[in-house]
Amino acid sequence: MADLIQLLTNGLALGSVYALAAIGFVIVYSATGVVNFAAGQFVMVGTFAGVAMLLNAELPMPVGYTAALVVMALFGALFYLVVYLPLRRSPIVTVIIGTVAIGITLQNTALLTFGSWPFRLPSPFEGMMVEVAGAVISVHALAVVAATAVMILLLWLLLHRTAVGIAMRAVAQDVKAARLMGLRVQWLLAFSWILGAVLAGVAGLMLGPMWFADVNMGDPIALKAFAATVIGGFGSLPGAIAGGFFVGLAEVLGASYISSAYKDLIAFGVMILFLLVRPQGIFGEPIQDRG
Amino acid sequence: MLTTRRTLLSLTLGTAVGAALRPAFAAGEPIAIGAAIPTTGPLSLSGKQYFNTLTMAEEDINKAGGINGRPIKFVFEDAGASNSTAVSAFVKLVQETKPPFVFLSSYSTQNLATAPEVTKAKIPVMYAGGADAVADSSGGWMFRIRPTDSLAARGMAQFVRTLKATKPGIMYIQNDFGQGGAQAAAKLLEANGMAPVGSEAYGQNDKDFSAQLLRLRQKGADVILTFVYPADGALLLRQIKALGLKMPVVASSGSFLPASVQLLSPSDLDNVWGVIDTFVDPSVGGRMADFTTRYKAKFGQDGDAYGLAYYDGALILAEGLKTVGTDPEKLRSFIASQKSWDGIGQTYSFDDKGNGVPGVVVVKAKPGTKTLELVERIRPA
Amino acid sequence: MALRALALAAFLAIGFALSLSVSEYSLRLLNLAAISATAVIGLNFAFGYAGLISLGHSAFMGLGAYILAILTTQAGWSPWLAALPAILGTGLAAILIGVPLLRLKGHYLALATLGLNVSFGIVAANWIEVTGGTNGISKIPGVSVLGHSLEGERPFLWLALVVIAVLAVAASLIQRSRYGRAMMAVRDDETAAAMTGINVTATKVAAFALSAVYAAVAGCLFAAHVHFISPDDFNFAHSITFLSMLIVGGEGTIAGAIIGAVLLTFLPEWLRVLGESYLAFFGLMMLAILIFMPTGIVGLLSRLRRPARSEAPAALVAPGEGARP
Repeated sequence: MADLIQLLTNGLALGSVYALAAIGFVIVYSATGVVNFAAGQFVMVGTFAGVAMLLNAELPMPVGYTAALVVMALFGALFYLVVYLPLRRSPIVTVIIGTVAIGITLQNTALLTFGSWPFRLPSPFEGMMVEVAGAVISVHALAVVAATAVMILLLWLLLHRTAVGIAMRAVAQDVKAARLMGLRVQWLLAFSWILGAVLAGVAGLMLGPMWFADVNMGDPIALKAFAATVIGGFGSLPGAIAGGFFVGLAEVLGASYISSAYKDLIAFGVMILFLLVRPQGIFGEPIQDRG
Repeated sequence: MLTTRRTLLSLTLGTAVGAALRPAFAAGEPIAIGAAIPTTGPLSLSGKQYFNTLTMAEEDINKAGGINGRPIKFVFEDAGASNSTAVSAFVKLVQETKPPFVFLSSYSTQNLATAPEVTKAKIPVMYAGGADAVADSSGGWMFRIRPTDSLAARGMAQFVRTLKATKPGIMYIQNDFGQGGAQAAAKLLEANGMAPVGSEAYGQNDKDFSAQLLRLRQKGADVILTFVYPADGALLLRQIKALGLKMPVVASSGSFLPASVQLLSPSDLDNVWGVIDTFVDPSVGGRMADFTTRYKAKFGQDGDAYGLAYYDGALILAEGLKTVGTDPEKLRSFIASQKSWDGIGQTYSFDDKGNGVPGVVVVKAKPGTKTLELVERIRPA
Repeated sequence: MALRALALAAFLAIGFALSLSVSEYSLRLLNLAAISATAVIGLNFAFGYAGLISLGHSAFMGLGAYILAILTTQAGWSPWLAALPAILGTGLAAILIGVPLLRLKGHYLALATLGLNVSFGIVAANWIEVTGGTNGISKIPGVSVLGHSLEGERPFLWLALVVIAVLAVAASLIQRSRYGRAMMAVRDDETAAAMTGINVTATKVAAFALSAVYAAVAGCLFAAHVHFISPDDFNFAHSITFLSMLIVGGEGTIAGAIIGAVLLTFLPEWLRVLGESYLAFFGLMMLAILIFMPTGIVGLLSRLRRPARSEAPAALVAPGEGARP
């Protein structure tokens, strides 16, 4: 029983990170229609923004976190200008390859800037553990799950209770109609990229203390986030969350009860199965044309 | 469009061919030595060390008068993260630099993929991949300057007995190194009447090992042998402590590289033994102290055992060049005949398969610190 | 027709001339490019003609390579003989996978095939008894013709040139046949294609299987060239590279497939002179090519002769509707 609690908590913490990465990916996808293969690199950039602010600039934690997220917002805006705008009328495959290409650049720029040694980001809950029914759980892991929940709540409020959020959803549903209604579509699209980048930044800052910061961490996260997105439903926020937790739990429980060597087959096998049986995922939405 | 392609090709090839046509060893010109090592991608964590130590060796050798008056010069090509890039880098060096000798990477699959090209090029190389299979493909031209994976596994299995443990569990990374090491260790332990109670794998990019570790605990493991790379090795040690696992851990060399130790707290190293290539620490004194101090001063990081192997390799090579010149065949026999070359990290002794490192050492952190101390040297028969 | 025969002759002539004039290192790169070109000409069936985005192409190449490697190293078959089951087996696997999978479109298919590629890697790395695990399979024999060994980069390039020429002619004939036109009709509008009596599913599966067959040929060439294969040689990054080659060269054209394969094989090698930052530049250059040459190199060349195409209506168009002159 203690072991099961342990596995569930670790799986949820893992799943939170996948979920946040998946949300960042989905926000961008549902607003702009871009399948961002650099999504994992966004998380990596977020972690290293944390490394730069907390370890290199030695800022105190609240300031450092804020500064890192501001960097991520700028990064999202830059990505919008340099990658999205020039490619916005290109076919989907060109955009996919374009984001892969810029992902290579991001990864190697990080390597040149920060070197190949991994970093250990400090946690506000450094070394704190709680014991629940015999399972030892790190406070940081609990905080990650809680922070993910808060982020999801904030995001929901933003999308459903603020003018910007409602306008964003309008753009996501029908660009032409949104434009006819006088919405400033390009600004809203830019804002989606910024939001996606900031969410990836949050994921990056939270996983830094758990996993170490490593310039090559992006692609594996992206793969898991893709699986999460497909399982949950492409373009669906609740789906990304459910999918993220599913993939995290499948990884840990699969390793425990099935096979540690083949555990990743579960996530990708279920992903393919969902695509075949229920391509809209758990919470799927119909796909629209975007502009 | 085919003309376009040809123009593009000939533009670059022009320079390539030009470089190849230059006489390689005009008098007074430096002796160029190739190094096809990873400087980008995930493998650059260790590749950067080789880059640094080889650069340092170049300076040291030249400062001491070079090769009978001629300077030595390392020409680097990135071996990247794929086998194919590693082979391209080697072939590029062989074609364009025409070196009498090349250093390869420390990744067995890259070494295995490059082996046929080495045999074709007929120049000696040093490499640091651990898989035993590389030696079988070496054709007599490849010299290993690190312990084989099975040697390290043998050292770990032997040390399990010292710990008086009887029910070992194994954790290994799912790559050529981990799979090979875990298999070798399991076989040896079984032969010693201590069949492993469990053997658990994790992916190169995995971040959570709780499932595997709890399984080993359930199966009653009283010692855990880990076959790891640096970053995941550190993460694994931290999670072992976070999960409250009390049994001793015998970890492979990756966990005790400076890149890995810097990620740990002293408590993470409690009850952890490292079976590693060699003890790299200023406290050893002599040339080792000189090497570690200068490395740190020059690169702002601690040098590691893998990097030191390349430094030693460069010194062996320099002596070979001084003694027999740049003829590849003579260099090959020179290196093969070294049976007790006194390096900084090892006493290198090349066997008939080109394996140059006959033993490993066991280290442990002094209680409450991250300072390592030597426990014992293992030189399996 | 005459033009295409001329292009083929020019291709062989240039390839042969290069094989005699360039350094061994460039020969090796040409061989790598030729192996990639074989795979990319195949990918052109799936993506260029039928509009199926496959990010699992490298898995099919791997399947072919592994079958060949296992049969030659463990059963002692000659590579020529082993290539047959390797190619046919891979084609069959593609049919079995394609039937359920090809109902998916666009990025759904892209992610499903990506998942397939990742899964292939996991199995290849863990099914140690058969695949040798992550240590791979070494000492794969090279090929010889009538007792003449094709060891060495130059003879191998000749072999590769012949293979590409044969496969390119076959691809060109298929493209212009009823089946090729059916593929393009399916790509452009599935409903309309179905109404004209085309069996949409069968057409897609055929295109997918053909692409896998070409990938398997590439895999056999790869195994015989390097003499060593391991799961990493066929990971999903290679699939993305193949797709990049096709896009950069110019999708839907055989010349584009070859040009893209050559360019993207040589580009990172040329950029090595930039030192440590060469891969960072490589990514930027790729992006620039995609932005400034949206129809690839072949598209750019033909656009110089023709007036500009009209812009695609939206970002999220099916691959058939966009960048095509």
